[in-house]
Amino acid sequence: MKITAIALIAIALLLITAGCTQPSATTSTTSTAAPIKELRIGYQPSTHQMAEITAMDKGWWQQDLAPLGVVNVTDTVFPTGAPEMQAMLAGDIDVAYVGSAPVLSAVATGLDAKIVAGVNTQGSDLVVRNDLNYSGPQSLKGLTIATFPAGTIQDTILRNWLMQNNITPDKDVTIKGMNGGDAVTAIAAGKVDAVFLPTPSPSTVVNLGKGKIVVHSGEMYPNHTCCVLVVSGKLIREHPEIVRQIIKTNDKAVAYNEQNLDEAAGIFSNKTGTKLEDVKDSLKEWDGNWASDPNIIINPVLDYARIQYNSGIIKKPLTKDDLFDLSFYQKS
Amino acid sequence: MGSHVQKNGKDRWLGALAIILALVIWEIIAAVIIRYPFILPAPTDVAAAFVNLLQHGTLLLDLEDSLIHFAIGLGVAILVGIPLGIAMGWNHRFNAFIDPIVEIFRPIPPLAWIPFAIIWFGLTAWSAGFVIFAGAVFPIIINTYSGFRSVPRIFVEAGKMLGCTKDRDLIRYIAFPAALPSVAAGIRIATGVGWMCLVAAELFGVSNYGLGQKLWWFYDIHQMDSVVVYMIILGFIGLAFDMVFRYYLDRHFLKWRTGEVA
Amino acid sequence: MGDLQIRDLNQSFLRDDGSELSVLEHLSFEVHDKEFVCILGSSGCGKTTLLRLIAGLDEARSGSIILDGEEIKSPSPKVGFVFQEYSLFPWRTVIDNIAFGLEMKGMVREERYRIAEHFLDLVNLTQFRNSYPSELSGGMRQRVAVTRALALDPVLLLMDEPFGALDAQTRNMLQQELLGIWEKTRKTVVFITHSVDEAVFLSDRIIVLTSRPGRICRIFPVELPRPRDRTSVEFAQVRRDVLDLINQNYCIQ
Repeated sequence: MKITAIALIAIALLLITAGCTQPSATTSTTSTAAPIKELRIGYQPSTHQMAEITAMDKGWWQQDLAPLGVVNVTDTVFPTGAPEMQAMLAGDIDVAYVGSAPVLSAVATGLDAKIVAGVNTQGSDLVVRNDLNYSGPQSLKGLTIATFPAGTIQDTILRNWLMQNNITPDKDVTIKGMNGGDAVTAIAAGKVDAVFLPTPSPSTVVNLGKGKIVVHSGEMYPNHTCCVLVVSGKLIREHPEIVRQIIKTNDKAVAYNEQNLDEAAGIFSNKTGTKLEDVKDSLKEWDGNWASDPNIIINPVLDYARIQYNSGIIKKPLTKDDLFDLSFYQKS
Repeated sequence: MGSHVQKNGKDRWLGALAIILALVIWEIIAAVIIRYPFILPAPTDVAAAFVNLLQHGTLLLDLEDSLIHFAIGLGVAILVGIPLGIAMGWNHRFNAFIDPIVEIFRPIPPLAWIPFAIIWFGLTAWSAGFVIFAGAVFPIIINTYSGFRSVPRIFVEAGKMLGCTKDRDLIRYIAFPAALPSVAAGIRIATGVGWMCLVAAELFGVSNYGLGQKLWWFYDIHQMDSVVVYMIILGFIGLAFDMVFRYYLDRHFLKWRTGEVA
Repeated sequence: MGDLQIRDLNQSFLRDDGSELSVLEHLSFEVHDKEFVCILGSSGCGKTTLLRLIAGLDEARSGSIILDGEEIKSPSPKVGFVFQEYSLFPWRTVIDNIAFGLEMKGMVREERYRIAEHFLDLVNLTQFRNSYPSELSGGMRQRVAVTRALALDPVLLLMDEPFGALDAQTRNMLQQELLGIWEKTRKTVVFITHSVDEAVFLSDRIIVLTSRPGRICRIFPVELPRPRDRTSVEFAQVRRDVLDLINQNYCIQ
């Protein structure tokens, strides 16, 4: 009898506390913020984010942030945006170079962070097997396309573009989500008919002799935002000066890359292990643009948010203020 | 001293109580202490997600695809593992030949086979089955092998004296029945291991449905409450498999063992 | 039928250091049809080795074993064997154990069950027809083992201390039961034991082996009529003769 009593009390407690798990509102501590000793940056091995890699290689992060009290800057690589956002949600990174779509589901789940600048627009390609004929989106019917998993930019844009062309994803076309390495393996082994991936992967496939680039993502969604610069809420509130400098350093790296494409390709190839030839070819063929002005990316990002909300990937609609903090960006 | 019957009843209640208490503690930690559903969804969040998935989700289709992947992996593991284990257990030279190869492949984690699964089998149920096979086949080989090695010689000799002299017949009528408890243990372990490989097997886009596939899908869009729903389903099914082994198969096919170890 | 001839049998084993250990040397004897012969000797004198050679389970270094004019080189259903340890197949019921040899011969189910049931009845264990060996006592298991060997109607029955693990009472009872079966089925039996008492009770002749290497020391005929009284004077006399031989180590050469 004692046992049943305990059990009943326990069940009662359970029911009472149900529904209490709302993400806690950001408690802004206006107390003196402790100086940040270590800054942790997350990135992906895509040429979209070459600025981060060049700046790290040249020591500019450390150089530019040391006067603001930062002693150490480290970076961590992620295969796609989802685990990168996971790490940010868990508080393991402070700054993220990431596709704008994964940010949405992270913020919707309670990530305390904001987009402060753009990183690039466009820059993904649809690559089709060499033995297949591409004559427009309709010729994709019945094919299997591998791309990044659900909730990513590539997945969002591809599905959107197919639907605009009256092709129903999952019915007329099979879309399989996986990370970049598996997708390249799959098309190289002839197990999928096409891949839709950010640079430099498309060039890797072409140079393996396994496919041809048929559509640039800019044709699917002109000037679409791809990667953005996301910074933790804590950093924004406590060290706005650091945030401002991060954007400046990024712009410096972008300018340098544009002037020294070959050297930048070499740095990228060393860091990520991608073949130098593939990197150089991708820089030549891509339709991407390293642009950091966030104002031009607001609308596409809000558009993604709308699409994701409608397809149930995120559970609540997001506003401009939920996602952006544009006060740090200054046109230099 | 309490009687046996009473003890059993009380034990069941204790088990149920432990589960309820665990749920309460979980709820309190999640709802009151952490309050951040990404880091720890509460049992009530998970229950709500479960109800939602029942109504709008694809739970049955997921279960179906996962069971297919698992059946392929375990089925092929049995078809390959048992004959290999028999050959290794029965023939010393064959064992000396094959054993090093088995021992080299065995420690390779099933996850590491994904690239080859894609290359050899594409993105089909067979590639998922292959990853599961990579985990399930080794317990079967090893337990079958050791079962055959430990068949008491006296049974083989008694069989010979009774006219069972060909190798094929000795294996079929004497060694295999004697080794069956080991073989069954191997299959039971393989079932557990293979089921655990399911999540790895469904990681790389083999199908649009699947318990593992959905787990990764919801992870990718950070809906951890649904991730936990799928984790729990995976756990319960694994438990169900084990109970089938324990209460049905052992009891029916191996009942000649009762009486030997109380 | 059931004529066994052992001619100049030699057996040895290789030791770890490569040297040979001679276990049986120049063994020669005969067992006549329908005879009950006991091979008596202390532990390690090669009795089991000898029996396994007769069964065809091992191959001798030299010499020959001839059954009804044919040489024995491998196990055959003509020779039945009852092992010292429990050898019933634990995964088969009692009836399926007894019917095993018949199943190997290709007999149909009804036929082999009929024969098996007949033998089961011979040892009064019909009620355990569908039990598993693990549910039987030691004595019962050995009785089933005897019937399993008999079911194939062998001409020669070999028994390796089958009652060694049983208590005295069960042992005596089984000895009597064995004699009853032997009288009914009239097989040639070669029975190994280290109990003088058992040998005198059961056999027509007792072959006493020396130890390491095994050689025939003496062969005792036992001409007492059956059923034998363990407490009679004649019985005791034979016993004394055999014991004297063993105790005084007359056989050391």
